[in-house]
Amino acid sequence: MTRFMQFLFVAGAAVSQGVDPAMLLKPPADSWPAYHGDYSGRRHSALTQITPQNVGQLGLAWAYQTGQVQQIKCSPLLVDGVLYITVTDNVYAVDARSGHQLWHYAYPPNKGFHIGSRGVSMYKDWLYFMTPDSHLICLNASDGKVRWNVVVADSLKGYWTTMSPLIVRNHVIVGVSGDFDNLTGFLKSIDPETGATQWRWDSTPPAGTPDATTGGMTWMTGTYDPALNLVYWGTGNPTPVLNGKARPGDDLYTCSIVALNPDTGKLAWSFQASPHDTHDWDAVETPVLVDRDFAGKPRKMLMQTSRNGYFFVLDRTNGESLLTIPFGPVNWSTGLDKKGQPIPNPAKEPAPDGRLIAPNEGGLTNYRSPSFDPKTGLFIVDSHPSYGIYFAKPADGSFGWAGADYDVWAKAELDAIDYQTGKIRWKHELGPNGAGAGVLTTESGLIFTGDALGNVLALRTSDGKTLWHAGAGSPMQSSPITYELDGRQYVVTSAGGVLFSWALPQ
Amino acid sequence: MSSSIQGAEKIALPMVTALPELAQTCLCYIPVFMGFHNRLFWGLLMTAALAAAQDVDRGAPIFMQQCAFCHGRDAAGGEDGPDLTRSKLVAADVHGDKIGVVIREGRPEKGMPRFTLSDSEITGLVAFIHDAKAKAEALVGGRRGVDVADLQTGNQEAGQKYFNGAGKCSTCHSPTGDLAGVAKRFEGLKLEQRMLYPNDAKSKVTVTLRSGQSVTGELAYQDEFTIGLRDSARRYRSWPTSMVKFSIDAPAEVHVELLSKYSDDDIHNLMAYLQTLR
Repeated sequence: MTRFMQFLFVAGAAVSQGVDPAMLLKPPADSWPAYHGDYSGRRHSALTQITPQNVGQLGLAWAYQTGQVQQIKCSPLLVDGVLYITVTDNVYAVDARSGHQLWHYAYPPNKGFHIGSRGVSMYKDWLYFMTPDSHLICLNASDGKVRWNVVVADSLKGYWTTMSPLIVRNHVIVGVSGDFDNLTGFLKSIDPETGATQWRWDSTPPAGTPDATTGGMTWMTGTYDPALNLVYWGTGNPTPVLNGKARPGDDLYTCSIVALNPDTGKLAWSFQASPHDTHDWDAVETPVLVDRDFAGKPRKMLMQTSRNGYFFVLDRTNGESLLTIPFGPVNWSTGLDKKGQPIPNPAKEPAPDGRLIAPNEGGLTNYRSPSFDPKTGLFIVDSHPSYGIYFAKPADGSFGWAGADYDVWAKAELDAIDYQTGKIRWKHELGPNGAGAGVLTTESGLIFTGDALGNVLALRTSDGKTLWHAGAGSPMQSSPITYELDGRQYVVTSAGGVLFSWALPQ
Repeated sequence: MSSSIQGAEKIALPMVTALPELAQTCLCYIPVFMGFHNRLFWGLLMTAALAAAQDVDRGAPIFMQQCAFCHGRDAAGGEDGPDLTRSKLVAADVHGDKIGVVIREGRPEKGMPRFTLSDSEITGLVAFIHDAKAKAEALVGGRRGVDVADLQTGNQEAGQKYFNGAGKCSTCHSPTGDLAGVAKRFEGLKLEQRMLYPNDAKSKVTVTLRSGQSVTGELAYQDEFTIGLRDSARRYRSWPTSMVKFSIDAPAEVHVELLSKYSDDDIHNLMAYLQTLR
């Protein structure tokens, strides 16, 4: 097939195809139809055109300027040759071949928290976009026109939303944010056609329940196992954030990984990454689903590099722990409980005269995606070895933040973790403070990520050696994606308000 | 008050625009200046108060959108940013002269981006921050922040022992040399943060070119691909790392090794000792 015929074929096939929910089970190479690219959260692509041998020739295919001061923090979607990206309050449709804009939707000015937007999700020909004032907007993918707009949470109480919903069949599963008030975290499943709520699952008891925690926000997109029909979701920290005395006990289900039935919202199991957290360590980092051997036995696993500094490997059929091990400096735990959950050291809770804690509040990693590379068995994560000091005293009260914490020192590195042992096979230094870029691996043995100083990097997966780089002007605050169109593989990254598309010369 | 005057400027009252500097420091100066025209004074004062409220109202949504995530919804500190209601810069700010600069230029070294906002938006933000400061100061308790008094739980003798012993601080530092009077230069949390890791400490780099010539200077930039320095004439020079050899002398990095060794008591004791070096 000639390039032109391929184009006609792809373009022809593209007309009003959209995202059939069945397509999410096995996304085609010419798509990136959901936040993680697929349901597994591995952010690993089968594409092999760009290889360790030729990646040195990688160059700019195009750049797209949002013209926004806000940084791009989304994972783009690619469906039918069109990229959909977001910054807070804004959605853009961009031609994935040329980088020119098809349409731009701007949500009206509002008083919600403007922190970031992690991107849209797609069901059939409709996009789902969450707003700072906690609305879910359904847009036509063809022209960005609003179909409907529903309220997910009360932004006046202190909720806001940033996440890209998880689409499972006819469920649009949405989560919420809100750390500055004592609020109940929850997930909602919403009907993609009508916007009606199908179910709601609360991660914590209603605000005002005596001695009970609030919090457990659900601000990152979960993953899904179609065979077990379970969605996996990480929940955020408890509130009040730094004052643990007001909420004695484990504070379930905050800082947890939960497995829910997507049709009913019923909890199947839970695992708590940080029982009784007092350091703002949301456990919302991607729950990555991997089917491999563990200790010689085939397992359906869930892996998470958690903000609290631990690498967790669970059996995702029942939440049983297979491995719990720090992947960098961690000094706040006295050991593991029977379930493999770290036990918090009471002496490391925030105190009036300060406690030195590793990692710092930003965590040993944060929301940008890690990647699992099946060939090497390496779990690759943007890590952030760091120390902070945490303060809390009675005068700080028991509402919202309820204390203060300050960074002391941090650096950025990429860590390649052997999933069976938790041992770091190699490290790649990424600069001072934190890099924050997500990670993509490809079947050809490449890693795409970014450093703390604004370089986009291509590394060899086996040993972390740099094979290609380009200065993009500021650090990547998103996770790279890749796809193939007309026989050409593109890697898409962002820096500041600019989207970059990289490809081999034609 | 300063913002109220700027608000008044917008409704074109030339007498006020003539005295912003005075008005900033003391609004009560206005009656002296304008005592000859009482009605104009009261009208102005009310206009100014109304304009101030309008500025705060205009600033509030901008603060919520652009600033609150880091600095907290009430400007008293959030995920990453400092408590602005206790900030020395905010306390010293007059008419947005200091806050405005930080908003426009950012503090990239501390992770704060530049913001491209109109003058009117910045006036609103400045008004909002001053208003939040006034509200925070009126509150009893509930504050978030660290006072010098909070950091006095250590033992001075134990700190001195740690300084000269396990901490090995005395290898590089001297209470009568570089640290003489350190407690006069820094106090409280600032002193403790610098003690744990001096973020602005300079490193020295020596770059050896292929010709064999070597250049030494203050390390100015380093990533995997580029090394940059300021030479003795403060001139910036950089090279691809693949084309030169270089060695870096970063004395502050030994502080990082200590982070995993300190007990919290060590830190408090060391603070007690350092605070005697006045």
